[in-house]
Amino acid sequence: MRNVLKAPEGERLALMGNEAIARGLVEAGVSVVTGYPGTPSSEVLMTLHEFGAGGDIYVEWAVNERVAFEIAYGASIGGARAAVTMKAPGASVALDPLISSAYGGVEGGLMVLVADDPGPHTTQTEQDDRWLGFLAKLPVLSPSSPQEAKDLTVASFELSEAVKLPVILRTTTRVNHAVGDVVLGPLRPPKRVVLFRKDVPRFVRAGMAWNLERHRWLNRQLSTVEEVFEKVSAVRNTAEGSGKACVVTEGAAYNYVAEAVSELGAEVKIVKLALLFPPPRRFLSEVLEDCERVLVVEELDPYVETLVRSLLSELGRGVPVYGKTASGMALEGELNTRIVREAIASALLGSAAARRSATAEPSRSIGVPPRPPPMCPGCPHRNTYVALLLGMARAGYGRDEVPVFGDIGCYALGAQPPLEAIWTEHSMGASISMAMGLKVAGYDKPVVAVIGDSTFFHAGIQPLIEVAHKQIDVLVVIVDNSVVAMTGHQSTPAWPELESGRKARPMSIESVVKAIGVDRVEVVDPYDLDEAIEAFARLLREPGVRVLISRHPCALMEARVKGVPYRYRVIEDRCVGCLACVRVTGCPALYFDGQRVRIAEEDCLGCGLCARFCPYKAIEVIRSG
Amino acid sequence: MNIAIASVGGQGGLTLSRVLAVAAVLDGHSVRTGETLGMAQRFGSVVSYVRVGGRVLSPVFSEGEADFLLGLEIIEAVRALRLLRRGGLAIVSDALKPPVSASLKRESYDRAELLKYMSDRAKLLVVPAQDLAAQAGNPRAANMVVLGAFGRLQTVLTEGSIRRAISEVIHPRWLEGSLKAFELGAEFCVRSGFARARSD
Repeated sequence: MRNVLKAPEGERLALMGNEAIARGLVEAGVSVVTGYPGTPSSEVLMTLHEFGAGGDIYVEWAVNERVAFEIAYGASIGGARAAVTMKAPGASVALDPLISSAYGGVEGGLMVLVADDPGPHTTQTEQDDRWLGFLAKLPVLSPSSPQEAKDLTVASFELSEAVKLPVILRTTTRVNHAVGDVVLGPLRPPKRVVLFRKDVPRFVRAGMAWNLERHRWLNRQLSTVEEVFEKVSAVRNTAEGSGKACVVTEGAAYNYVAEAVSELGAEVKIVKLALLFPPPRRFLSEVLEDCERVLVVEELDPYVETLVRSLLSELGRGVPVYGKTASGMALEGELNTRIVREAIASALLGSAAARRSATAEPSRSIGVPPRPPPMCPGCPHRNTYVALLLGMARAGYGRDEVPVFGDIGCYALGAQPPLEAIWTEHSMGASISMAMGLKVAGYDKPVVAVIGDSTFFHAGIQPLIEVAHKQIDVLVVIVDNSVVAMTGHQSTPAWPELESGRKARPMSIESVVKAIGVDRVEVVDPYDLDEAIEAFARLLREPGVRVLISRHPCALMEARVKGVPYRYRVIEDRCVGCLACVRVTGCPALYFDGQRVRIAEEDCLGCGLCARFCPYKAIEVIRSG
Repeated sequence: MNIAIASVGGQGGLTLSRVLAVAAVLDGHSVRTGETLGMAQRFGSVVSYVRVGGRVLSPVFSEGEADFLLGLEIIEAVRALRLLRRGGLAIVSDALKPPVSASLKRESYDRAELLKYMSDRAKLLVVPAQDLAAQAGNPRAANMVVLGAFGRLQTVLTEGSIRRAISEVIHPRWLEGSLKAFELGAEFCVRSGFARARSD
């Protein structure tokens, strides 16, 4: 790939939204970038790492989003330009310092990337973080394309420094993960710490009179944002086309509106907002002046619709406004050009539903099995769950008697058949505290919490302190694959060297657990299945706080580093098609061909779990190559 | 030109989509792709949308709006068939990977039956992509074989730009095998009578 961070001004490249944001950060002269991995936001830091930005500026993953935000905020109050990235639930993790930061304000520009996920594709909720503007009282910008994502990244620093407030760049998956043609801008050297001037009323939130005064200051700053934004940003709030029928939109939805209007060939004015908070009241009042019908097109909540309705009502303009009430404009899921075309046709043009394209397959008359993402072949989490379930049986418990509280990471895929091993997956770190909640409420059988290594560092340590301090009977299983696997193999605090090349002090999970005061700590390798089953059986029978660290590297990472010396294959005349291997493991390298099981050799990573559970010894190991 | 790419996570559908995007920009077109990324898509259903043209904006499209369907696996190609427009062309690898959900129910899938289902509804070119990739020396380059066949069956992107895009996107270590796989895909397409050999 071309080095997107070094390519010269004026060059036009195909860039993913997150790569464009990474380029924008370098164009803006950022000197500190941090965040926590989370789809669809992760590729911003990954791009900076891949193309070597970590040598010139500080680019590192942090232990969680609030720590990441605080690092970036600390840099910016010293005058440096800083950025922090996170997915939507991460913004909730960072909310406490984020809201307080509006009162202290910044010196160097501070951009907060919050990547929402209408759909949802990879997120536990469809939370709409455009409301963060109202809640945190911080400016919110919204790009509609990779080009705008880059340009608004640059603009967010100018705006941030001009109004002295952190600026939220709110994106959605269809911007972060869309690839588009992007024209590059000029590069500038990093803006580092200038001077941190001691200013107690500004930066100490312990004084209530100071807080009241800073709140007044904040509201004054916000009142200037629209005017400043129009001056500093290359991407403006815009109106295109003309007519009495208006569509107001923003973000990814703009693309669907523009294409729909062009396909319909209708005379419609398209109003696109790039500034979402504070509401661009002056701009909207002007462009909506001659509109007689307004349709708001946006994904998720009626955010812009609420702004438009309230503004028109204040102005005493009684024009009809359609939004979430218009046909097809659901509060859930994503939009697309077809949905928007039909909404514009019915709400604004009063015409019947627009044409649909003729598909090669108007109706389906063949079965197509679902393919939800499973755990990968060789995944050590699979072994952990198999050992846990067998250990439960050995300890004398039915699998419906021992609730297993899951957490966020690849191991949540253990919820799928055939393992169906976890009962909950809620929020980062919640496995331990929710298990504790059930126990203190009187549940009389064992409870288990399963949490990954990175999730433990992110939000599992405090819940472990809670159960250890209160001495609650919980078995905590830390599934340690030594990497943030689900989001694309980022570093954890246990790494001795980081993506940037920086040397680090590796954190030991055992030491942390023991320092917390957990006396009963064991470590197993789930690839040693017998030992793991025995450890689960033993620990399930014991009272108190027990921690079992189930440690084996992510199979994909291990295969990349060590290669795959062995694979397995089915001995055809021995396999009777009993499916024991499939039913125990659910491994995606196995499939049933109608008579017997086969192993997709190119996918097998040689863990051998299937062979172990074959009653007919019909699976044999082979040297690969 | 709208292209839908259907694959099983890990087969290289996203790489294929990126090569097309880079080639489109090299040829001076506007481009958009839409996909969902993340390691967690591994071995799951993946659809990538690629749009190339004068001024494309939306990164996705709807049923019946794809001019081409590139399938790296047969079940996933059938799943995505509704995206293909009537009269559109499906270029599908002969790889068949039934998912765990099917095997758990003792369901099996017949390659010939699935392919007939597609050929009854669309113009279909079936490519022995895995074999040709292995022949090219890179068993993971089945995506480049399908790309080679596609390259001969469309007129929007130049072959030179596609090759240059492959060189930009693919790691140097795998490049030679990938370019060879691309070549074998193109040759197969011509041999199969779907496209004429290039005059250049």
